[in-house]
Amino acid sequence: METFINPKSLFHLLLLPCLLLYSSIAYNSSPVEAAMHTNNWAVLVCTSRFWFNYRHMANTLSLYRTVKRLGIPDERIILMLADDMACNTRNKYPAQVFNNENHRLNLYGDNVEVDYRGYEVTVENFLRVLTGRHETAVPRSKRLLSDEGSHILLYMTGHGGDEFLKFQDSEELQSHDLADAVKQMKEKHRFKELLIMVDTCQAATLFNQLQSPGVLAIGSSMKGENSYSHHLDSDVGVSVVDRFTYYTLAFFERLNIYDNASLSSLFSSYNPSLLMSTAYYRKDLYKRRLEEVPVTNFFGSVMETIHTDAAYKALSRRNSGRFEDEMSLDQSVHHIERRMLIKVNDGYEIHDINPEGEEGASKCPWSTFRNKFQKAENVDSLVNYGLVAMIPLLVISTWLVQ
Amino acid sequence: MAETKEKSLSDEKPKPRVRPIVRLGIFLISHSFHVSVVCCTAGVLALFLLPVLAKNTYISENALMPGSASPMLSNQHVSDGNRLVKDLTNPNSKSSETGIESHKIIAQYMLDLGAEVSFHKFHPQMNQFHPLHFFSSPDSGKIQENYSCSSYGINTVGIIRAPRGDGKEAIVLVTPYNALKSGFGEALSLGIAYSVFSLLTQVTWLAKDIIWLVADSQYGEYAAVAAWLREYQTPKFSSLSAPNAEMCPDVNNLFELKGHSISGSKFSNSFRRAGTMAAALVLKVRDQNEQFEDTISIYAEASNGQMPNLDLINVVNYLAVHRQGLRVNVEKLWSLLNSSWLKSLGEIFESLAKVAKSLYPKWKFGIPATEYVEGTATLASSLYYQALGVPTGPHGAFRDYQVDAITLEISPKFSLDKVWRNDILLRGGRLIEGVIRSVNNLLEKFHQSFFLYLLTSPSKFVSVGVYMIAFALLIAPLPMVAASLYVDANSSSKRSKGDSSTPSAITDTDEHSIAIRSWSPTTSFMIWVLLSILSLLTLNSVLASPLACAKATQEKEWALVKSVTISSVFIGLGLMSVINFATAEIGALLMVPMCLLAQPLKLDVRAGTLRSFCRMICNLVLGHIAFPPAAFFLLKGMLDGFGNANVGDFWMWVESLWAWNSATYLFIGMVQLPCWVLCISILFHTC
Repeated sequence: METFINPKSLFHLLLLPCLLLYSSIAYNSSPVEAAMHTNNWAVLVCTSRFWFNYRHMANTLSLYRTVKRLGIPDERIILMLADDMACNTRNKYPAQVFNNENHRLNLYGDNVEVDYRGYEVTVENFLRVLTGRHETAVPRSKRLLSDEGSHILLYMTGHGGDEFLKFQDSEELQSHDLADAVKQMKEKHRFKELLIMVDTCQAATLFNQLQSPGVLAIGSSMKGENSYSHHLDSDVGVSVVDRFTYYTLAFFERLNIYDNASLSSLFSSYNPSLLMSTAYYRKDLYKRRLEEVPVTNFFGSVMETIHTDAAYKALSRRNSGRFEDEMSLDQSVHHIERRMLIKVNDGYEIHDINPEGEEGASKCPWSTFRNKFQKAENVDSLVNYGLVAMIPLLVISTWLVQ
Repeated sequence: MAETKEKSLSDEKPKPRVRPIVRLGIFLISHSFHVSVVCCTAGVLALFLLPVLAKNTYISENALMPGSASPMLSNQHVSDGNRLVKDLTNPNSKSSETGIESHKIIAQYMLDLGAEVSFHKFHPQMNQFHPLHFFSSPDSGKIQENYSCSSYGINTVGIIRAPRGDGKEAIVLVTPYNALKSGFGEALSLGIAYSVFSLLTQVTWLAKDIIWLVADSQYGEYAAVAAWLREYQTPKFSSLSAPNAEMCPDVNNLFELKGHSISGSKFSNSFRRAGTMAAALVLKVRDQNEQFEDTISIYAEASNGQMPNLDLINVVNYLAVHRQGLRVNVEKLWSLLNSSWLKSLGEIFESLAKVAKSLYPKWKFGIPATEYVEGTATLASSLYYQALGVPTGPHGAFRDYQVDAITLEISPKFSLDKVWRNDILLRGGRLIEGVIRSVNNLLEKFHQSFFLYLLTSPSKFVSVGVYMIAFALLIAPLPMVAASLYVDANSSSKRSKGDSSTPSAITDTDEHSIAIRSWSPTTSFMIWVLLSILSLLTLNSVLASPLACAKATQEKEWALVKSVTISSVFIGLGLMSVINFATAEIGALLMVPMCLLAQPLKLDVRAGTLRSFCRMICNLVLGHIAFPPAAFFLLKGMLDGFGNANVGDFWMWVESLWAWNSATYLFIGMVQLPCWVLCISILFHTC
């Protein structure tokens, strides 16, 4: 009954589809460090006291309002305000804070939850929040309870200098401290990606010591440059907003939660002549291309959702190649651009479904195969296919043994 | 063996190595003549360079933010102020003998605004001389026994509490007001203050309480403010001090009236306080003015040359110039403005700066000649008023309690037009409002900017680090010359015991001992001169003559006396520069050349060369100039013309120094006069 077909070669031939199947599954199953982006946090810090630093509090509250509007819930925002301008006796409008002289928007409305206020805002507390080393008595609402799937926005504003940021007019956070804290966070899997945004004089110097991967940093000014206030409210009698933050807010005011603007479009929106300083961003620690990261990944709470049939299927993470984009498929320039780039890059996190399905076919059988599986209706059918493939294998192996 | 070795070692080193600093000292002492010539010239030159070196003022304190808020004072408040001015200038209000009526009007106006009002009555205190109370705050005042009900003043005090403030700090606004013979200017200043006050009762941004003090200036503006401050800062807890104004029926009458007419209001009989004072503004409006535009004069000098923080002046200057369009003045010695030598000096500096700029374009230190002349005139007056040690206005009383205060005197271009009056009320009011809002922003005491400075214009100043150089250069040669004289005298006559008792050291007690009598100033001055000369000669004959008779050993006695003189001048100037720099600077200008040049006239006559002749002339001239009365006449004559100079003026001048507790008085008595006497005794030394 020996056939001319080499049994071994036959075996290999039959094994191939199984391997293919397996590897295509393994390809999408993420290793530990490539955890999914599952949640968003924001730490917003105003570090300076005193009435004449009104604008720093207004900066922070403006950003607070923005991230809240874009979908980060209050329990995931740690808001630190070093002084209380709203209730300062010098405030002409008690219990109100404005970031524009038109006074249309009261930033200090009803639902502002300040987690750390006044003299609680210290370098120590700031580092504790970042690294998660709290006293046992500190309530959960004051902790940064992020995990390895968190995108964290860290916004700081105040008075700073070369590689430091002043806290409370009495102590300072140095770039080493910041870098060390971020490193600890990385070690403790407290974030997946971190965007540090700083509006202070010589903000760029604060990022000098950062080493941890996944960190993106943007500052309002280069070394030797000052960050200036945007305008003075002659009614309140103080400057109400800084230039960098003002233009950041101007960018975000045009967006809503469904918009797809990328980080690079945010970064390129800063005009040095309007800012009177050069916005600097450091991206060498950051792997993804800025063009393909929507700003809402940090400033909002927009992430990919994984569709599963059953509520308690354990396989959720396996076949997460599917990414149902909740964003509107408006044909904005950014959107198209971004999708094109994804095709080239073949990134592992975001895989858009191709409605047309034509680009994928031209690439190689490998991806065709994968595409086929991706197109497969559900996991059950996939398993069924696998089982069917197992039958001939079983038959042949028993036949060989005999 | 060992001993001999050591000996040989020590022989090998003929001289122990002298440390470089000692060598430098020896070098300087041996060349003391050249050093002193160079240093003195440089010192005088540096003094004249100060206007060129003056820096522009800048707001040093971040919190102040002057002018960042737009003024809120509106025409409504101005018309309120106008109403008060009308009521006060109304002839009916002046009917009362004591002027109580107008105080009632003011109090009523304050009450209508919802402010807390109280009257503070005081007796004008006699001036007492506290020779060593330079910078300490005055004590609560001796209880004087003989109060009479006829002489008391009433300060009206209104306080606005900051609606959300903690009541720990306050800003004081003072308007001197003489109810008996008030001019229109005083009423106008009250109007300005009232319009600001009425605004401040409405605003929500007050962090500090506002105190408006209407100081009764019938016994002098300073006395009224000082009395109120004394009461404010040092409360009397004992009831022993009670037998004063309360006994007087008239005052009680005043309170009763008030109490009845407005029961349940915020009027109180007791003394009201607010928090510690952050700053004080004294507001005045000058009656007559011949200038073409509205100007505002700033007076800042307090007792003993203390100045308020420069930031306060900066804020006023900034707001007046850049917001209200007022011209700001600080005191100038007007007569200096026309002096041709100063103008030519300015031109020299200007051309020098041009040359320097052509050599190296980055050197830009020159200022135009006219600006230089003005700067020098301002600087000279700044120096003079600081040196005088007498406050230039009621703000001086605040400085004694370490409160920064200035007097603002608005001199409007005069016309009786109603539009004009509204305009000056509006602009003056907005200026005051701006300053108050700026100070209100302050978080701490004024501390960022300078306290030790001289102004060369309202927006330019010379800081302590610069002007000390001129002074240091002037007095630097003194110890060297003293040392070299001592060394010379000692080496030439080693046996000389040098027991040169200074015959005049005691004479300076004379002017202390003379009490102020009811003589005319001229007579007093003459009596003082005669007495001084008499006692001087007596003492000289008693104490100094036996030593003078000892012949050969005392060959160089005059050198030793000179050395002692120079050392004492050095010590005196050094001490004075700490207490009142300006006095020390002027004193150094007068005394240092005299002390350095002093040499017995006999020697010069004997030598008979041209050089010694010149020195003789110099000595005689300097000997005259350095005599304080002579210096005074000379200065006064130069500034006002010699026709007005009177012998009694000096006496009056010194009396005022005495009355104001000026350290300059002590300086003249204890440093300048004795040293002058010593120098004269050197000049007429019989060697």
